[in-house]
Amino acid sequence: MAFDLDRALLDECVHCGFCLPTCPTYAVTGDEAESPRGRIYLMDLATRGEAPVAGPVTQHLDSCLGCLACVPACPSGVKYNQLIESARPQLDREVPRDRFFRSMIFTLFPYPRRLRVAALAGVLYQRLGLRWLTRRSGLLGRLPARARALEGLLPPVRAKDLFARTKGTGTGQTRGVALLTGCAQRVFFKPVNDATVRVLAAEGCRVDLPKGQGCCGALSLHTGRDEEARAFARRTVDAFEGYETVVVNVAGCGSVLKEYGELLRDDPGYAERAAAFAARVRDVSEVLAELEPVARRQPLPLRVAYHDACHLANAQRITRQPRDALRTIPGLELVEVPEEKICCGSAGVYNLLQPAMAERLGRRKAENLASARPDVIATGNAGCLLQIRRYAEGGPLIMHPVELLDWSIHGTAH
Amino acid sequence: MRPASLAELRDAVRDTRGTLLVKGAGTAQGWAGAPDPTDHVLETAGLTGLITYNPADMTVAVRAGTPLALVQQELAAAGQRVSLDPARAGATVGGLVATADSGPLRHAYGGPRDLLIGVTVVLADGTVARSGGHVIKNVAGYDLGKLLCGSFGTLGVLAEVVLRVHPLPPASRTVSIPCDAAEAVKHTGRVLEARLEPAALEWCDGELLARYEGVESSVELRAAATPGGTRLSTADAEAAWRRVAAVGDGDLVVRCGTRPSQLPAVAAHATSLTSSTAVGVHTLRVADVERLRAEFTQVTVLGNKPGVPAWGEPHAAVPLMRAVKQRFDPEGRLGPGRYRPWF
Amino acid sequence: MSLTDLRDQLAARLGRDGIVTDPAHLRTYECDALTGYRVVPALVALPRNAAEVAAAVAACARFKVPFVARGAGTGLSGGALPVADGVVISLQRLRRVLEVDPVDRRATVEPGVTNLDISRAAAKYGLYYSPDPSSQQVCTIGGNVAENSGGAHCLKYGFTVNHILAVDVVLPDGTTTRLGADAPHQAGFDLLGAFVGTEGTLGIVTGVVVRLLHTPATVRTLVANFDSTKDAGDAVTAVIAAGIVPAAIEMMDNLAIQAVNATVDAGFDPDTAAALIVELDGPADEVEARFADLTRLCAKATEVTIARDAEHRAKIWQGRKAAFAAVGRLSPNYFVQDGVVPRTRLGEALTRIAEMGEQAGIRVANVFHAGDGNLHPLVLYSEERGEHERAEALSTAIAELCVELGGSLSGEHGIGTDKACSMPRMFSEDDLATMRRLRAAFDPEGLCNPGKVFPTPRLCGERPGPYRPHPLEAAGVIERL
Repeated sequence: MAFDLDRALLDECVHCGFCLPTCPTYAVTGDEAESPRGRIYLMDLATRGEAPVAGPVTQHLDSCLGCLACVPACPSGVKYNQLIESARPQLDREVPRDRFFRSMIFTLFPYPRRLRVAALAGVLYQRLGLRWLTRRSGLLGRLPARARALEGLLPPVRAKDLFARTKGTGTGQTRGVALLTGCAQRVFFKPVNDATVRVLAAEGCRVDLPKGQGCCGALSLHTGRDEEARAFARRTVDAFEGYETVVVNVAGCGSVLKEYGELLRDDPGYAERAAAFAARVRDVSEVLAELEPVARRQPLPLRVAYHDACHLANAQRITRQPRDALRTIPGLELVEVPEEKICCGSAGVYNLLQPAMAERLGRRKAENLASARPDVIATGNAGCLLQIRRYAEGGPLIMHPVELLDWSIHGTAH
Repeated sequence: MRPASLAELRDAVRDTRGTLLVKGAGTAQGWAGAPDPTDHVLETAGLTGLITYNPADMTVAVRAGTPLALVQQELAAAGQRVSLDPARAGATVGGLVATADSGPLRHAYGGPRDLLIGVTVVLADGTVARSGGHVIKNVAGYDLGKLLCGSFGTLGVLAEVVLRVHPLPPASRTVSIPCDAAEAVKHTGRVLEARLEPAALEWCDGELLARYEGVESSVELRAAATPGGTRLSTADAEAAWRRVAAVGDGDLVVRCGTRPSQLPAVAAHATSLTSSTAVGVHTLRVADVERLRAEFTQVTVLGNKPGVPAWGEPHAAVPLMRAVKQRFDPEGRLGPGRYRPWF
Repeated sequence: MSLTDLRDQLAARLGRDGIVTDPAHLRTYECDALTGYRVVPALVALPRNAAEVAAAVAACARFKVPFVARGAGTGLSGGALPVADGVVISLQRLRRVLEVDPVDRRATVEPGVTNLDISRAAAKYGLYYSPDPSSQQVCTIGGNVAENSGGAHCLKYGFTVNHILAVDVVLPDGTTTRLGADAPHQAGFDLLGAFVGTEGTLGIVTGVVVRLLHTPATVRTLVANFDSTKDAGDAVTAVIAAGIVPAAIEMMDNLAIQAVNATVDAGFDPDTAAALIVELDGPADEVEARFADLTRLCAKATEVTIARDAEHRAKIWQGRKAAFAAVGRLSPNYFVQDGVVPRTRLGEALTRIAEMGEQAGIRVANVFHAGDGNLHPLVLYSEERGEHERAEALSTAIAELCVELGGSLSGEHGIGTDKACSMPRMFSEDDLATMRRLRAAFDPEGLCNPGKVFPTPRLCGERPGPYRPHPLEAAGVIERL
């Protein structure tokens, strides 16, 4: 059972090593097999049939965050994103592992209704003091690492947010946009969606929330469940038919939406529409950058550390726009953070599947962020928000950039 | 013995038995331990002159017995120099390499090790070996030239030396900042932080000297911009730099390497001292070498004073030095007495 | 004695996480950035600190098992090629910057710290670490010490050896020592100078003290286009002859520019035959005066572009430094050559290389440090079309051409595995035997990175043919006795 990867893609790697310092797992382990160069080497060996797919090949590909920091760093233009995305489904087919846990994640997260019920259980768990009890009693320590990871990521959700829905606004003049409200985002980060609508409206947009939308397929795609991802993608394309601009406020979703053309290229019914859809997708920071700021901003005298979400910075090459948007807030100071290009360890469901590595990266990120002594950490991705919140506990506020803008424009932090 | 060619030198070493002392201009005969009387003295005075010099390549190959002054004279005609300014007038190029000697220009250019790009050496058994080459950038093979820096004639006889050269600066200006040793450390930091790029920065007995080299307008501007400095006339500058060189004329002189900021502690041992303040290499007259050695390990006695051991407690790398000596000169033919008590 | 016993000892000392034994995993260590040579090691050790490195080396010494130190694996001469049945000791877990001392302008770092991270750590004091190999964002200081790495700015500031104050070394018997001192005055032989650049054959560095320099007051950079590489080469000669010591002079030919343009938008003209990047730095007035001379000396240039600001300059250098790897976009396979010629023979060397490439029917791109005559011809070929052997022969011939022109087999990439067999072209038996004496003083058992630098019958097959005079001997520059 050999691997089947595109030989031409593999051969583009000249083994120069320029990717090494960009790779989070390499930063932590110093092990060649935990670097992009080493992973490409392993994929190459497996494709040649010189190494079994099970064992180290699977292990070291599974430990890849998919943060894609190596892609812009590569002088030879290796398309690591394509390599890892075509390797993952093959791993899933050939090497059975974590079946139960994986299917639990994928029967839960992409479905807001199911997730609400689970999250409600989570809220109760936190509210009733069960969290305190499990932690205090040492029960937590006895839970499997992955269950602990799940527990630690539970955000402080308000029960009423779980069932309320974000509403669109129909008054904007400048531009009409449709917002993807997401799946987990809708449940865990309703305030971010609300803030997005308010800020866009304040800047003169009409914001629609198309019905029939659900999970965009990002979680599935980044974990090698490509068939499932395509089904989600088709539904999303249908739901957003006819909208000129599709706005997304989650980096991981945005990067996949922009790849729909590639994802559905072999689907005759959707290939063309998917490509056209992808071209209409914008991260909320891109839309804000294209708009002249009109809403009055009140000063926020805060030190803000902006964390680049990998799926924004590496996959979509968006680094300037969110910073520019934050700079429109008077008094706000953007501070520099060491290792700012290194992933926080969230990476979709990575922190659930690879909790040990995710924890090392989370702590490292939290320490680096803390060293800049920020009042607020801002980042444009749900996964990063959860992960950083977990390890920077008790420290600065952790917010989506649009929440800061909302604060400045509307005068209150929601 | 006074060979006049590489072949004669090789024969002189290969065809004789017994111990050998290498002698250049004799300006550092007593350094690094008084040599024992040897069966033969091998003078390099017959090995003189430039071998190849192509100014556009900015390298020069010379026979080891050539006095540096002579090389400088030849190079000056083409507007170039070897950026090495040791105090010892008349010293040969080979002697300067063997003693790793340097002067104030070490601030910008380092010492012989940093200018040496190739050597030809005759080992104790008559083997003739080359390393390096005639180009400034070269990592092919081991750099035996560096090994010979500071070897004081104990590993082999230098026959030929290839050096990198630099353009002669069109103008030069020296600035004097009167200060004590502690202030000199601070002034040094200021001059460096001001990015004035002196070619030499030397504190000598109560005065920090900064020499600027380059185009005329620039050296004058930098001299004027030196914090706390007074611009010296050409004659005064020459006199000041002569005072620096003269520190080495003392009765008991040592060279000592420390962290640059330790200058005041070193100066406390000295009756007269000159120091490259950014580099941490000090040349000083002392009364009591042992007291200095109790505090600092990298101390070389420049000169031979009866009753003063040339070297102190062996440092961590001395066993390796012995191993190298054993491989290069297993019979101990070359320079017996040098490096006593380490060898 | 057995490898199993050694493995058990290392596992006990370094932990299960500290060694690699799985065959597929081991293969990721089978080569460095020179992929033409591959050897699978028996074991990889991933020590976390100097004590663990010493323990690993001591264990190898006890079992008489050869070992090879490895940094980031960016070397281009196969210096970190493993030895079969030997151990690779990776220094990638020793990555702490231990001290940056702004008063005495030095930094103490572990060997796995990247070259650029030293400058990053020093930046807040206005200081930096000067040698800048093109791979500086990746390559480690330990590897730089082993290779005596150069870089574009070495023309003015010197190479690694000129910027290292001291190294802590684990010797091949597992004992440790320090070479060098607090200042560049050592009581004794310059063992530090002799050690730097020995390509990991004398011991493993576990700590490095580097000199830091203040960043220059002013930097001015220009890119000058020329109608031919010869015109560009002549301009280099004119600049040097005028007594200007630029911080850097780099040349790229058209093919190299095409590759760079596909990677970085640095604004290089895709149609020019050759471009020079010339950088001057230093006190403002000095730089301005010299820059005016420089512009004049580039009279034959078809166009001169002066870097607008720091960002533009950074782009230019980013493009230049990505050139080797960027060539991967032009050709599926290529050799990166590294030879040096005296500056006055640059034009001749480039012409000869072009002819040789034409004869072999193989494209050669050129991107190199023109100021010190350090050529980097990139020999482009296709494995698929079966051009490997022809390309390799051409690459070797180019290196040997450099020796013939009075230069060197390597300016900065090292001899490693790649060029060991060419060493007799540059050095006599006696020269090499003398170098081996130094090796024997450090490593009498020959366990430390064996098979590198020196030609061995196993690697090079038959002994070299009948005696041929060394090119410098033929030219009357040296005499062979």
